Amino acid sequence: MSRTGWARLAGFGVALAALHFAPLALNPYFVTILARIGIAIVAAASLQLVNGFTGQFSIGHAGFMGLGAYASAAFSVYLGAAVLDALGGALPAGLARLLYFPFPLLVGGLVAAAAGLVVAVPALRLRGDYLAIATLGAGEIIRIAILNVDSVGGARGFSLASDVHPGVDLRFDSLAGVYGVAVIAIAAIARLVYAGGGLAFRAVREDETAAESLGIPTTRVKVEAFLVSSFFAGVAGALFAHSEGYIHTNSFSFVRSFEIVTFVVLGGLGSLSGAVLAAAVLTAAPELLRGLGEWRMILYAALLIATMILRPQGLLGQRELWPLSRLAAPDPPSS
Amino acid sequence: MAFLEVSRLTVRFGGLTAVSQLDLSVDEGALVALIGPNGAGKTTAFNVITGVYAPTEGHVRLAGCEIGGASPHAISAHGVARTFQNIRLFRGLSALDNVRAALLGASRAGWRDVLRGAAWRSRERAGEAEARALLDELSLGPSADARADSLPYGEQRRLEIARALATKPKLLLLDEPAAGMNPAEKQALRELVAQLRRVHGLTIVLIDHDVSFVMNLCERVAVLDHGEKIADDVPAAVRRDPKVIEAYLGADSEAGAAG
Repeated sequence: MSRTGWARLAGFGVALAALHFAPLALNPYFVTILARIGIAIVAAASLQLVNGFTGQFSIGHAGFMGLGAYASAAFSVYLGAAVLDALGGALPAGLARLLYFPFPLLVGGLVAAAAGLVVAVPALRLRGDYLAIATLGAGEIIRIAILNVDSVGGARGFSLASDVHPGVDLRFDSLAGVYGVAVIAIAAIARLVYAGGGLAFRAVREDETAAESLGIPTTRVKVEAFLVSSFFAGVAGALFAHSEGYIHTNSFSFVRSFEIVTFVVLGGLGSLSGAVLAAAVLTAAPELLRGLGEWRMILYAALLIATMILRPQGLLGQRELWPLSRLAAPDPPSS
Repeated sequence: MAFLEVSRLTVRFGGLTAVSQLDLSVDEGALVALIGPNGAGKTTAFNVITGVYAPTEGHVRLAGCEIGGASPHAISAHGVARTFQNIRLFRGLSALDNVRAALLGASRAGWRDVLRGAAWRSRERAGEAEARALLDELSLGPSADARADSLPYGEQRRLEIARALATKPKLLLLDEPAAGMNPAEKQALRELVAQLRRVHGLTIVLIDHDVSFVMNLCERVAVLDHGEKIADDVPAAVRRDPKVIEAYLGADSEAGAAG
Protein backbone atom coordinates (compact mmCIF):
# COMPACT_ATOMS: atom_id res chain seq x y z
CA MET A 1 0.00 0.00 0.00
CA SER A 2 1.22 3.50 -0.83
CA ARG A 3 1.92 6.16 1.80
CA THR A 4 -1.26 8.06 1.00
CA GLY A 5 -3.07 4.75 1.30
CA TRP A 6 -1.78 4.26 4.84
CA ALA A 7 -2.52 7.87 5.73
CA ARG A 8 -6.08 7.46 4.50
CA LEU A 9 -6.49 4.24 6.48
CA ALA A 10 -5.15 5.94 9.62
CA GLY A 11 -7.55 8.87 9.14
CA PHE A 12 -10.39 6.42 8.70
CA GLY A 13 -9.36 4.63 11.93
CA VAL A 14 -9.21 7.87 13.93
CA ALA A 15 -12.62 8.91 12.63
CA LEU A 16 -14.10 5.52 13.56
CA ALA A 17 -12.58 5.71 17.06
CA ALA A 18 -14.02 9.21 17.51
CA LEU A 19 -17.45 7.96 16.41
CA HIS A 20 -17.14 4.93 18.66
CA PHE A 21 -16.64 7.07 21.75
CA ALA A 22 -18.95 9.91 20.66
CA PRO A 23 -22.03 8.42 22.40
CA LEU A 24 -20.27 8.89 25.77
CA ALA A 25 -20.06 12.64 25.24
CA LEU A 26 -23.23 13.31 23.29
CA ASN A 27 -26.85 13.60 24.26
CA PRO A 28 -28.48 10.19 23.48
CA TYR A 29 -31.06 12.01 21.36
CA PHE A 30 -28.30 13.23 19.03
CA VAL A 31 -26.73 9.79 18.96
CA THR A 32 -30.04 8.30 17.80
CA ILE A 33 -30.42 10.91 15.09
CA LEU A 34 -26.84 10.46 13.91
CA ALA A 35 -27.36 6.71 13.75
CA ARG A 36 -30.57 7.18 11.73
CA ILE A 37 -28.74 9.49 9.34
CA GLY A 38 -26.03 6.86 8.80
CA ILE A 39 -28.65 4.18 8.14
CA ALA A 40 -30.56 6.46 5.76
CA ILE A 41 -27.30 7.04 3.89
CA VAL A 42 -26.73 3.30 3.40
CA ALA A 43 -30.32 2.84 2.19
CA ALA A 44 -30.11 5.83 -0.17
CA ALA A 45 -26.72 4.84 -1.61
CA SER A 46 -27.95 1.31 -2.28
CA LEU A 47 -31.13 2.48 -4.02
CA GLN A 48 -29.10 4.94 -6.11
CA LEU A 49 -27.40 1.96 -7.79
CA VAL A 50 -30.74 0.70 -9.17
CA ASN A 51 -32.69 3.94 -9.67
CA GLY A 52 -29.94 6.41 -10.47
CA PHE A 53 -27.25 4.41 -12.20
CA THR A 54 -29.12 1.52 -13.83
CA GLY A 55 -32.22 3.59 -14.55
CA GLN A 56 -34.72 1.07 -13.17
CA PHE A 57 -37.31 2.72 -10.99
CA SER A 58 -37.73 0.61 -7.86
CA ILE A 59 -40.01 1.86 -5.08
CA GLY A 60 -40.03 -1.16 -2.79
CA HIS A 61 -36.70 -0.70 -1.06
CA ALA A 62 -38.14 -0.64 2.45
CA GLY A 63 -39.28 -4.25 2.01
CA PHE A 64 -35.69 -5.41 1.60
CA MET A 65 -34.60 -3.19 4.45
CA GLY A 66 -37.30 -4.72 6.65
CA LEU A 67 -36.33 -8.24 5.66
CA GLY A 68 -32.70 -7.49 6.56
CA ALA A 69 -33.80 -5.98 9.87
CA TYR A 70 -35.94 -8.96 10.83
CA ALA A 71 -33.49 -11.60 9.61
CA SER A 72 -30.62 -10.03 11.53
CA ALA A 73 -32.75 -9.50 14.64
CA ALA A 74 -33.93 -13.11 14.53
CA PHE A 75 -30.31 -14.21 14.17
CA SER A 76 -29.30 -12.16 17.19
CA VAL A 77 -32.23 -13.26 19.32
CA TYR A 78 -32.04 -16.98 18.57
CA LEU A 79 -28.34 -17.54 17.81
CA GLY A 80 -26.66 -14.41 19.11
CA ALA A 81 -25.95 -15.70 22.62
CA ALA A 82 -24.32 -18.86 21.26
CA VAL A 83 -22.16 -16.97 18.75
CA LEU A 84 -21.19 -14.45 21.42
CA ASP A 85 -20.22 -17.31 23.79
CA ALA A 86 -18.08 -18.94 21.12
CA LEU A 87 -16.29 -15.68 20.41
CA GLY A 88 -16.02 -14.84 24.12
CA GLY A 89 -14.31 -18.17 24.80
CA ALA A 90 -11.16 -16.98 23.05
CA LEU A 91 -11.39 -13.22 23.31
CA PRO A 92 -12.06 -10.54 25.93
CA ALA A 93 -15.75 -9.75 26.25
CA GLY A 94 -15.58 -6.22 24.76
CA LEU A 95 -13.74 -7.39 21.66
CA ALA A 96 -16.06 -10.37 21.26
CA ARG A 97 -19.05 -8.02 21.23
CA LEU A 98 -17.39 -5.87 18.57
CA LEU A 99 -16.55 -8.89 16.42
CA TYR A 100 -20.06 -10.25 16.77
CA PHE A 101 -21.79 -7.45 14.89
CA PRO A 102 -20.58 -8.22 11.35
CA PHE A 103 -22.50 -11.53 11.63
CA PRO A 104 -26.05 -10.17 11.92
CA LEU A 105 -25.23 -7.50 9.34
CA LEU A 106 -24.12 -10.16 6.87
CA VAL A 107 -27.16 -12.31 7.65
CA GLY A 108 -29.47 -9.34 7.09
CA GLY A 109 -27.71 -8.44 3.84
CA LEU A 110 -27.64 -11.97 2.44
CA VAL A 111 -31.28 -12.73 3.23
CA ALA A 112 -32.35 -9.44 1.63
CA ALA A 113 -30.13 -10.15 -1.39
CA ALA A 114 -31.70 -13.59 -1.81
CA ALA A 115 -35.15 -12.00 -1.74
CA GLY A 116 -33.89 -9.34 -4.14
CA LEU A 117 -32.87 -12.03 -6.59
CA VAL A 118 -36.26 -13.74 -6.34
CA VAL A 119 -38.02 -10.42 -7.00
CA ALA A 120 -35.60 -9.16 -9.65
CA VAL A 121 -35.67 -12.06 -12.08
CA PRO A 122 -39.37 -11.74 -12.93
CA ALA A 123 -39.80 -8.02 -12.11
CA LEU A 124 -36.93 -6.74 -14.23
CA ARG A 125 -38.64 -8.01 -17.36
CA LEU A 126 -40.96 -5.07 -16.78
CA ARG A 127 -40.13 -1.47 -17.58
CA GLY A 128 -40.95 1.95 -16.23
CA ASP A 129 -44.24 2.27 -14.37
CA TYR A 130 -44.86 -1.48 -14.43
CA LEU A 131 -41.54 -2.18 -12.74
CA ALA A 132 -42.25 0.51 -10.14
CA ILE A 133 -45.61 -1.05 -9.27
CA ALA A 134 -44.12 -4.57 -9.16
CA THR A 135 -41.39 -3.47 -6.72
CA LEU A 136 -43.93 -1.58 -4.62
CA GLY A 137 -46.00 -4.75 -4.44
CA ALA A 138 -42.98 -6.90 -3.63
CA GLY A 139 -42.02 -4.59 -0.78
CA GLU A 140 -45.49 -4.76 0.71
CA ILE A 141 -45.67 -8.54 0.29
CA ILE A 142 -42.44 -8.89 2.25
CA ARG A 143 -43.73 -6.59 5.00
CA ILE A 144 -47.06 -8.34 5.35
CA ALA A 145 -45.43 -11.77 5.26
CA ILE A 146 -43.18 -10.76 8.18
CA LEU A 147 -46.18 -9.32 10.03
CA ASN A 148 -47.66 -12.83 10.04
CA VAL A 149 -44.62 -14.67 11.40
CA ASP A 150 -45.19 -15.16 15.09
CA SER A 151 -41.64 -16.17 16.00
CA VAL A 152 -40.48 -12.65 15.10
CA GLY A 153 -43.20 -10.97 17.11
CA GLY A 154 -45.92 -10.58 14.49
CA ALA A 155 -48.01 -7.47 15.08
CA ARG A 156 -46.39 -6.86 18.49
CA GLY A 157 -43.08 -5.95 16.90
CA PHE A 158 -39.78 -7.63 17.67
CA SER A 159 -37.39 -6.69 20.45
CA LEU A 160 -33.74 -7.66 20.61
CA ALA A 161 -34.06 -7.89 24.38
CA SER A 162 -36.28 -10.95 24.16
CA ASP A 163 -36.84 -13.53 26.84
CA VAL A 164 -35.21 -16.26 24.74
CA HIS A 165 -31.83 -15.38 26.27
CA PRO A 166 -32.54 -12.96 29.11
CA GLY A 167 -29.65 -10.73 30.10
CA VAL A 168 -27.98 -10.79 26.69
CA ASP A 169 -28.16 -7.32 25.19
CA LEU A 170 -27.26 -7.21 21.55
CA ARG A 171 -28.10 -3.60 20.90
CA PHE A 172 -25.32 -1.80 19.16
CA ASP A 173 -24.96 1.79 20.28
CA SER A 174 -21.67 2.69 18.61
CA LEU A 175 -21.84 5.15 15.74
CA ALA A 176 -18.56 3.73 14.42
CA GLY A 177 -20.33 0.61 13.21
CA VAL A 178 -23.03 2.54 11.41
CA TYR A 179 -20.68 4.98 9.70
CA GLY A 180 -18.03 2.35 9.02
CA VAL A 181 -20.65 0.31 7.17
CA ALA A 182 -21.87 3.46 5.38
CA VAL A 183 -18.36 4.17 4.11
CA ILE A 184 -17.92 0.56 2.96
CA ALA A 185 -21.30 0.59 1.17
CA ILE A 186 -20.64 3.89 -0.58
CA ALA A 187 -17.10 2.89 -1.58
CA ALA A 188 -18.24 -0.49 -2.90
CA ILE A 189 -21.07 0.96 -4.98
CA ALA A 190 -18.95 3.85 -6.26
CA ARG A 191 -16.17 1.49 -7.32
CA LEU A 192 -18.69 -0.76 -8.99
CA VAL A 193 -20.30 1.97 -11.10
CA TYR A 194 -17.25 4.14 -11.71
CA ALA A 195 -15.22 1.43 -13.43
CA GLY A 196 -14.94 0.55 -17.08
CA GLY A 197 -17.05 -2.56 -16.59
CA GLY A 198 -19.43 -0.55 -14.41
CA LEU A 199 -20.27 1.59 -17.41
CA ALA A 200 -22.63 -1.29 -18.24
CA PHE A 201 -25.00 0.00 -15.52
CA ARG A 202 -25.11 3.50 -16.96
CA ALA A 203 -25.28 2.15 -20.52
CA VAL A 204 -28.47 0.28 -19.55
CA ARG A 205 -29.85 3.50 -18.08
CA GLU A 206 -29.04 5.55 -21.17
CA ASP A 207 -30.23 3.14 -23.88
CA GLU A 208 -31.07 -0.50 -23.34
CA THR A 209 -31.37 -1.39 -27.03
CA ALA A 210 -27.98 0.10 -27.84
CA ALA A 211 -26.41 -1.57 -24.79
CA GLU A 212 -27.71 -4.99 -25.88
CA SER A 213 -26.41 -4.48 -29.42
CA LEU A 214 -22.94 -3.88 -28.00
CA GLY A 215 -22.88 -7.19 -26.17
CA ILE A 216 -23.97 -5.95 -22.75
CA PRO A 217 -26.33 -8.54 -21.23
CA THR A 218 -28.82 -5.97 -19.98
CA THR A 219 -31.05 -8.32 -18.00
CA ARG A 220 -28.04 -9.67 -16.11
CA VAL A 221 -26.75 -6.18 -15.43
CA LYS A 222 -30.12 -5.15 -14.02
CA VAL A 223 -30.36 -8.26 -11.84
CA GLU A 224 -26.85 -7.65 -10.51
CA ALA A 225 -27.68 -4.05 -9.66
CA PHE A 226 -30.82 -5.20 -7.86
CA LEU A 227 -28.87 -7.90 -6.00
CA VAL A 228 -26.18 -5.54 -4.70
CA SER A 229 -28.80 -2.92 -3.93
CA SER A 230 -30.99 -5.25 -1.89
CA PHE A 231 -27.91 -6.62 -0.08
CA PHE A 232 -27.02 -3.16 1.22
CA ALA A 233 -30.69 -2.41 1.94
CA GLY A 234 -30.66 -5.53 4.13
CA VAL A 235 -27.48 -4.34 5.84
CA ALA A 236 -29.14 -0.96 6.47
CA GLY A 237 -32.10 -2.79 7.98
CA ALA A 238 -29.78 -4.84 10.18
CA LEU A 239 -28.09 -1.66 11.39
CA PHE A 240 -31.50 -0.19 12.11
CA ALA A 241 -32.61 -3.23 14.11
CA HIS A 242 -29.42 -3.30 16.16
CA SER A 243 -29.26 0.40 16.89
CA GLU A 244 -32.95 0.80 17.75
CA GLY A 245 -33.24 -2.49 19.63
CA TYR A 246 -36.91 -2.82 18.69
CA ILE A 247 -38.44 -3.09 15.24
CA HIS A 248 -41.96 -3.15 13.88
CA THR A 249 -43.15 -3.81 10.34
CA ASN A 250 -44.72 -0.32 10.32
CA SER A 251 -41.19 1.07 9.96
CA PHE A 252 -40.83 -0.68 6.60
CA SER A 253 -44.04 0.29 4.83
CA PHE A 254 -44.16 1.97 1.44
CA VAL A 255 -43.90 5.31 3.24
CA ARG A 256 -40.30 4.42 4.07
CA SER A 257 -39.76 3.27 0.48
CA PHE A 258 -40.91 6.63 -0.82
CA GLU A 259 -38.70 8.37 1.70
CA ILE A 260 -35.65 6.57 0.27
CA VAL A 261 -36.78 7.33 -3.30
CA THR A 262 -37.03 10.99 -2.22
CA PHE A 263 -33.39 10.93 -1.04
CA VAL A 264 -32.28 9.55 -4.37
CA VAL A 265 -34.34 11.84 -6.60
CA LEU A 266 -33.73 14.97 -4.57
CA GLY A 267 -30.01 14.29 -4.33
CA GLY A 268 -29.82 13.72 -8.07
CA LEU A 269 -30.42 10.48 -9.96
CA GLY A 270 -26.94 9.20 -10.76
CA SER A 271 -25.04 10.92 -7.96
CA LEU A 272 -23.99 8.97 -4.86
CA SER A 273 -22.87 12.18 -3.17
CA GLY A 274 -26.29 13.65 -3.83
CA ALA A 275 -28.07 10.66 -2.31
CA VAL A 276 -25.84 10.83 0.78
CA LEU A 277 -26.36 14.56 1.16
CA ALA A 278 -30.13 14.36 0.70
CA ALA A 279 -30.42 11.41 3.10
CA ALA A 280 -28.49 13.32 5.77
CA VAL A 281 -30.35 16.62 5.32
CA LEU A 282 -33.82 15.13 5.03
CA THR A 283 -33.33 12.82 8.03
CA ALA A 284 -32.03 15.67 10.16
CA ALA A 285 -34.51 18.30 8.91
CA PRO A 286 -37.65 17.09 10.72
CA GLU A 287 -35.66 17.02 13.96
CA LEU A 288 -33.98 20.40 13.46
CA LEU A 289 -37.35 21.95 12.58
CA ARG A 290 -39.01 20.51 15.67
CA GLY A 291 -39.12 23.98 17.24
CA LEU A 292 -41.64 25.03 14.61
CA GLY A 293 -44.27 22.66 15.97
CA GLU A 294 -46.91 21.62 13.48
CA TRP A 295 -45.50 23.95 10.83
CA ARG A 296 -42.48 21.75 10.31
CA MET A 297 -44.12 19.19 8.03
CA ILE A 298 -45.47 22.02 5.88
CA LEU A 299 -42.00 23.53 5.65
CA TYR A 300 -40.50 20.12 4.86
CA ALA A 301 -43.00 19.60 2.04
CA ALA A 302 -42.44 23.13 0.73
CA LEU A 303 -38.69 22.48 0.73
CA LEU A 304 -39.19 19.38 -1.42
CA ILE A 305 -41.52 21.14 -3.86
CA ALA A 306 -39.20 24.13 -4.18
CA THR A 307 -36.19 21.91 -4.86
CA MET A 308 -38.01 19.98 -7.56
CA ILE A 309 -39.10 23.23 -9.25
CA LEU A 310 -35.75 24.97 -9.00
CA ARG A 311 -33.54 21.93 -9.57
CA PRO A 312 -35.50 19.18 -11.35
CA GLN A 313 -32.26 17.23 -11.88
CA GLY A 314 -31.81 17.06 -8.09
CA LEU A 315 -29.31 18.84 -5.87
CA LEU A 316 -26.21 17.54 -7.65
CA GLY A 317 -27.57 16.20 -10.94
CA GLN A 318 -25.06 13.50 -11.90
CA ARG A 319 -22.05 15.20 -10.34
CA GLU A 320 -20.05 13.78 -7.46
CA LEU A 321 -18.36 15.61 -4.61
CA TRP A 322 -14.92 14.83 -3.20
CA PRO A 323 -13.78 12.12 -2.57
CA LEU A 324 -16.21 10.34 -4.92
CA SER A 325 -15.45 12.80 -7.72
CA ARG A 326 -11.98 11.24 -7.98
CA LEU A 327 -13.54 7.89 -8.84
CA ALA A 328 -16.09 9.37 -11.22
CA ALA A 329 -13.51 11.06 -13.46
CA PRO A 330 -11.46 8.57 -15.45
CA ASP A 331 -7.72 8.66 -14.82
CA PRO A 332 -5.85 11.07 -17.06
CA PRO A 333 -4.03 9.08 -19.75
CA SER A 334 -0.72 7.83 -18.42
CA SER A 335 2.04 9.25 -20.57
CA MET B 1 -20.13 -20.56 -48.34
CA ALA B 2 -21.24 -17.01 -47.68
CA PHE B 3 -20.28 -15.33 -44.40
CA LEU B 4 -23.76 -13.99 -43.69
CA GLU B 5 -26.51 -16.20 -45.03
CA VAL B 6 -30.11 -15.05 -44.68
CA SER B 7 -32.45 -17.62 -46.11
CA ARG B 8 -36.22 -17.48 -46.65
CA LEU B 9 -36.51 -14.95 -43.82
CA THR B 10 -40.02 -13.82 -43.00
CA VAL B 11 -41.00 -11.43 -40.22
CA ARG B 12 -44.63 -10.77 -39.39
CA PHE B 13 -46.06 -8.36 -36.85
CA GLY B 14 -49.63 -9.54 -36.39
CA GLY B 15 -51.16 -9.23 -39.86
CA LEU B 16 -48.34 -7.14 -41.28
CA THR B 17 -45.56 -8.90 -43.16
CA ALA B 18 -42.54 -6.63 -42.81
CA VAL B 19 -40.07 -8.97 -44.51
CA SER B 20 -41.12 -11.76 -46.79
CA GLN B 21 -39.02 -14.73 -47.92
CA LEU B 22 -35.81 -12.70 -47.98
CA ASP B 23 -32.67 -14.41 -49.25
CA LEU B 24 -29.43 -12.55 -48.85
CA SER B 25 -25.91 -13.85 -48.85
CA VAL B 26 -22.90 -11.74 -48.12
CA ASP B 27 -19.36 -13.00 -48.68
CA GLU B 28 -16.61 -12.38 -46.17
CA GLY B 29 -15.07 -8.96 -46.73
CA ALA B 30 -17.85 -7.79 -49.04
CA LEU B 31 -19.55 -4.43 -48.91
CA VAL B 32 -23.22 -4.78 -49.76
CA ALA B 33 -25.93 -2.15 -49.78
CA LEU B 34 -29.54 -2.77 -48.86
CA ILE B 35 -31.74 -0.11 -50.39
CA GLY B 36 -35.42 0.45 -50.84
CA PRO B 37 -38.20 2.97 -50.27
CA ASN B 38 -39.47 3.81 -46.79
CA GLY B 39 -41.16 0.88 -45.09
CA ALA B 40 -39.54 -1.67 -47.37
CA GLY B 41 -38.30 -3.77 -44.44
CA LYS B 42 -34.61 -2.81 -44.47
CA THR B 43 -34.35 -1.93 -40.80
CA THR B 44 -36.51 -4.91 -39.85
CA ALA B 45 -34.02 -7.16 -41.66
CA PHE B 46 -31.21 -5.54 -39.63
CA ASN B 47 -33.18 -5.99 -36.44
CA VAL B 48 -33.52 -9.70 -37.11
CA ILE B 49 -29.84 -10.13 -37.97
CA THR B 50 -28.89 -8.37 -34.71
CA GLY B 51 -31.44 -10.23 -32.59
CA VAL B 52 -33.82 -7.38 -31.76
CA TYR B 53 -36.60 -9.42 -33.40
CA ALA B 54 -36.79 -13.17 -33.81
CA PRO B 55 -37.53 -14.41 -37.33
CA THR B 56 -41.09 -15.64 -37.85
CA GLU B 57 -39.75 -18.07 -40.43
CA GLY B 58 -36.40 -18.72 -42.02
CA HIS B 59 -32.79 -18.67 -40.93
CA VAL B 60 -29.95 -16.28 -40.28
CA ARG B 61 -26.54 -17.91 -40.32
CA LEU B 62 -23.22 -16.33 -39.60
CA ALA B 63 -20.20 -18.31 -40.75
CA GLY B 64 -22.46 -21.35 -40.82
CA CYS B 65 -23.72 -20.82 -37.28
CA GLU B 66 -27.45 -20.18 -36.75
CA ILE B 67 -27.99 -16.87 -34.97
CA GLY B 68 -31.66 -16.24 -35.82
CA GLY B 69 -33.63 -15.73 -32.60
CA ALA B 70 -30.58 -15.41 -30.33
CA SER B 71 -30.41 -12.44 -27.97
CA PRO B 72 -28.71 -9.28 -29.23
CA HIS B 73 -25.84 -9.50 -26.75
CA ALA B 74 -25.15 -13.10 -27.77
CA ILE B 75 -25.14 -12.10 -31.44
CA SER B 76 -22.76 -9.27 -30.61
CA ALA B 77 -20.43 -11.88 -29.15
CA HIS B 78 -20.50 -13.63 -32.55
CA GLY B 79 -18.96 -10.50 -34.05
CA VAL B 80 -21.94 -8.52 -35.31
CA ALA B 81 -22.15 -4.79 -34.56
CA ARG B 82 -24.49 -2.13 -35.81
CA THR B 83 -25.41 1.51 -35.83
CA PHE B 84 -28.95 2.82 -35.61
CA GLN B 85 -31.09 4.81 -38.01
CA ASN B 86 -32.00 7.33 -35.32
CA ILE B 87 -28.73 7.63 -33.46
CA ARG B 88 -28.76 5.71 -30.18
CA LEU B 89 -25.77 6.93 -28.24
CA PHE B 90 -25.47 6.82 -24.46
CA ARG B 91 -26.42 10.46 -24.47
CA GLY B 92 -25.52 11.33 -20.90
CA LEU B 93 -22.05 9.77 -21.06
CA SER B 94 -18.91 11.26 -22.55
CA ALA B 95 -17.78 10.19 -26.02
CA LEU B 96 -14.94 8.29 -24.37
CA ASP B 97 -17.30 6.47 -22.01
CA ASN B 98 -19.55 5.52 -24.90
CA VAL B 99 -16.65 3.62 -26.43
CA ARG B 100 -15.36 2.32 -23.07
CA ALA B 101 -18.82 0.95 -22.28
CA ALA B 102 -18.68 -1.08 -25.48
CA LEU B 103 -15.11 -2.23 -24.82
CA LEU B 104 -15.46 -3.16 -21.15
CA GLY B 105 -19.19 -3.39 -20.48
CA ALA B 106 -19.69 -6.78 -22.08
CA SER B 107 -17.13 -8.44 -19.81
CA ARG B 108 -17.79 -6.79 -16.50
CA ALA B 109 -15.24 -7.35 -13.78
CA GLY B 110 -17.84 -7.58 -10.97
CA TRP B 111 -16.24 -7.80 -7.55
CA ARG B 112 -12.83 -7.06 -9.07
CA ASP B 113 -14.17 -3.58 -9.77
CA VAL B 114 -14.61 -3.20 -6.03
CA LEU B 115 -11.21 -4.55 -4.97
CA ARG B 116 -9.23 -3.00 -7.85
CA GLY B 117 -6.01 -4.98 -7.93
CA ALA B 118 -3.06 -4.49 -10.26
CA ALA B 119 -4.54 -6.66 -13.03
CA TRP B 120 -7.77 -4.69 -12.86
CA ARG B 121 -5.87 -1.41 -13.19
CA SER B 122 -3.94 -2.53 -16.24
CA ARG B 123 -7.15 -3.75 -17.86
CA GLU B 124 -8.78 -0.36 -17.24
CA ARG B 125 -5.76 1.49 -18.62
CA ALA B 126 -5.64 -0.71 -21.71
CA GLY B 127 -9.38 -0.18 -22.21
CA GLU B 128 -9.07 3.56 -22.02
CA ALA B 129 -6.06 3.66 -24.36
CA GLU B 130 -7.91 1.50 -26.86
CA ALA B 131 -10.99 3.70 -26.63
CA ARG B 132 -8.93 6.83 -27.25
CA ALA B 133 -7.23 5.18 -30.22
CA LEU B 134 -10.62 4.36 -31.74
CA LEU B 135 -11.83 7.91 -31.21
CA ASP B 136 -8.66 9.22 -32.87
CA GLU B 137 -9.17 6.89 -35.79
CA LEU B 138 -12.59 8.44 -36.40
CA SER B 139 -11.21 11.96 -35.80
CA LEU B 140 -13.12 12.29 -32.54
CA GLY B 141 -10.04 12.64 -30.33
CA PRO B 142 -10.66 16.28 -29.37
CA SER B 143 -14.27 15.49 -28.39
CA ALA B 144 -13.39 12.54 -26.14
CA ASP B 145 -14.52 14.18 -22.91
CA ALA B 146 -17.60 15.95 -24.28
CA ARG B 147 -21.04 14.57 -23.51
CA ALA B 148 -22.28 12.49 -26.43
CA ASP B 149 -25.47 14.53 -26.87
CA SER B 150 -23.49 17.78 -27.07
CA LEU B 151 -21.58 16.64 -30.17
CA PRO B 152 -22.49 17.91 -33.63
CA TYR B 153 -24.60 15.56 -35.72
CA GLY B 154 -21.80 14.25 -37.94
CA GLU B 155 -19.63 13.46 -34.92
CA GLN B 156 -22.51 11.61 -33.26
CA ARG B 157 -22.79 9.41 -36.36
CA ARG B 158 -19.05 8.72 -36.27
CA LEU B 159 -19.14 8.06 -32.52
CA GLU B 160 -21.78 5.40 -33.11
CA ILE B 161 -19.43 3.74 -35.59
CA ALA B 162 -16.51 4.00 -33.14
CA ARG B 163 -18.63 2.40 -30.45
CA ALA B 164 -19.67 -0.41 -32.79
CA LEU B 165 -16.02 -1.03 -33.75
CA ALA B 166 -15.11 -1.32 -30.07
CA THR B 167 -16.89 -4.67 -29.95
CA LYS B 168 -14.35 -5.92 -32.54
CA PRO B 169 -16.97 -6.98 -35.06
CA LYS B 170 -16.46 -9.08 -38.17
CA LEU B 171 -19.77 -7.93 -39.63
CA LEU B 172 -20.77 -4.29 -39.37
CA LEU B 173 -24.33 -3.20 -40.15
CA LEU B 174 -24.76 0.52 -40.85
CA ASP B 175 -28.37 1.71 -40.78
CA GLU B 176 -28.63 4.83 -42.95
CA PRO B 177 -25.24 6.23 -42.01
CA ALA B 178 -25.65 9.02 -44.60
CA ALA B 179 -29.05 10.22 -43.39
CA GLY B 180 -29.17 13.98 -43.07
CA MET B 181 -25.75 14.57 -44.61
CA ASN B 182 -24.86 17.00 -47.39
CA PRO B 183 -23.00 15.77 -50.52
CA ALA B 184 -19.56 16.69 -49.13
CA GLU B 185 -20.24 14.84 -45.87
CA LYS B 186 -21.58 11.87 -47.82
CA GLN B 187 -18.35 11.76 -49.83
CA ALA B 188 -16.30 11.83 -46.61
CA LEU B 189 -18.45 9.04 -45.19
CA ARG B 190 -17.93 6.92 -48.31
CA GLU B 191 -14.19 7.25 -47.88
CA LEU B 192 -14.43 6.45 -44.19
CA VAL B 193 -16.49 3.30 -44.77
CA ALA B 194 -14.05 2.09 -47.43
CA GLN B 195 -11.11 2.78 -45.14
CA LEU B 196 -12.64 1.05 -42.08
CA ARG B 197 -13.43 -1.97 -44.20
CA ARG B 198 -9.81 -2.17 -45.32
CA VAL B 199 -8.17 -1.48 -41.94
CA HIS B 200 -10.43 -3.67 -39.79
CA GLY B 201 -11.08 -6.39 -42.37
CA LEU B 202 -14.82 -5.89 -42.03
CA THR B 203 -17.76 -7.29 -43.89
CA ILE B 204 -20.21 -4.43 -44.20
CA VAL B 205 -23.90 -4.22 -44.99
CA LEU B 206 -25.29 -0.72 -45.20
CA ILE B 207 -28.76 0.64 -45.62
CA ASP B 208 -29.58 3.68 -47.69
CA HIS B 209 -32.47 5.08 -49.65
CA ASP B 210 -30.50 6.12 -52.63
CA VAL B 211 -28.72 4.09 -55.31
CA SER B 212 -26.41 6.97 -56.20
CA PHE B 213 -24.87 7.08 -52.71
CA VAL B 214 -23.79 3.44 -52.86
CA MET B 215 -22.92 3.52 -56.57
CA ASN B 216 -19.15 3.73 -56.33
CA LEU B 217 -18.90 2.23 -52.87
CA CYS B 218 -20.54 -1.19 -52.90
CA GLU B 219 -19.97 -4.12 -55.19
CA ARG B 220 -23.52 -5.29 -54.78
CA VAL B 221 -26.89 -3.75 -54.10
CA ALA B 222 -29.96 -5.60 -52.88
CA VAL B 223 -33.26 -3.78 -53.27
CA LEU B 224 -36.23 -4.37 -50.99
CA ASP B 225 -39.78 -3.28 -51.64
CA HIS B 226 -42.78 -4.16 -49.47
CA GLY B 227 -40.64 -6.70 -47.64
CA GLU B 228 -39.56 -8.56 -50.75
CA LYS B 229 -36.26 -8.53 -52.52
CA ILE B 230 -36.84 -7.25 -56.05
CA ALA B 231 -33.24 -6.96 -57.23
CA ASP B 232 -29.77 -8.08 -56.19
CA ASP B 233 -26.93 -7.19 -58.52
CA VAL B 234 -24.06 -4.81 -59.23
CA PRO B 235 -25.10 -1.15 -58.76
CA ALA B 236 -25.08 -0.27 -62.46
CA ALA B 237 -27.49 -3.11 -63.28
CA VAL B 238 -29.76 -2.34 -60.32
CA ARG B 239 -30.02 1.23 -61.48
CA ARG B 240 -31.43 0.15 -64.83
CA ASP B 241 -33.69 -2.54 -63.42
CA PRO B 242 -37.32 -1.72 -64.36
CA LYS B 243 -38.66 -3.26 -61.15
CA VAL B 244 -36.45 -0.97 -59.08
CA ILE B 245 -37.50 2.06 -61.07
CA GLU B 246 -41.11 1.08 -60.59
CA ALA B 247 -40.63 0.72 -56.82
CA TYR B 248 -39.13 4.14 -56.51
CA LEU B 249 -41.05 6.14 -59.09
CA GLY B 250 -44.25 4.22 -59.77
CA ALA B 251 -45.26 2.00 -62.72
CA ASP B 252 -45.99 4.67 -65.30
CA SER B 253 -42.78 6.63 -65.07
CA GLU B 254 -40.20 6.61 -67.80
CA ALA B 255 -37.37 4.17 -67.26
CA GLY B 256 -34.70 6.84 -67.71
CA ALA B 257 -35.90 8.93 -64.77
CA ALA B 258 -34.26 6.80 -62.10
CA GLY B 259 -30.76 7.49 -60.84
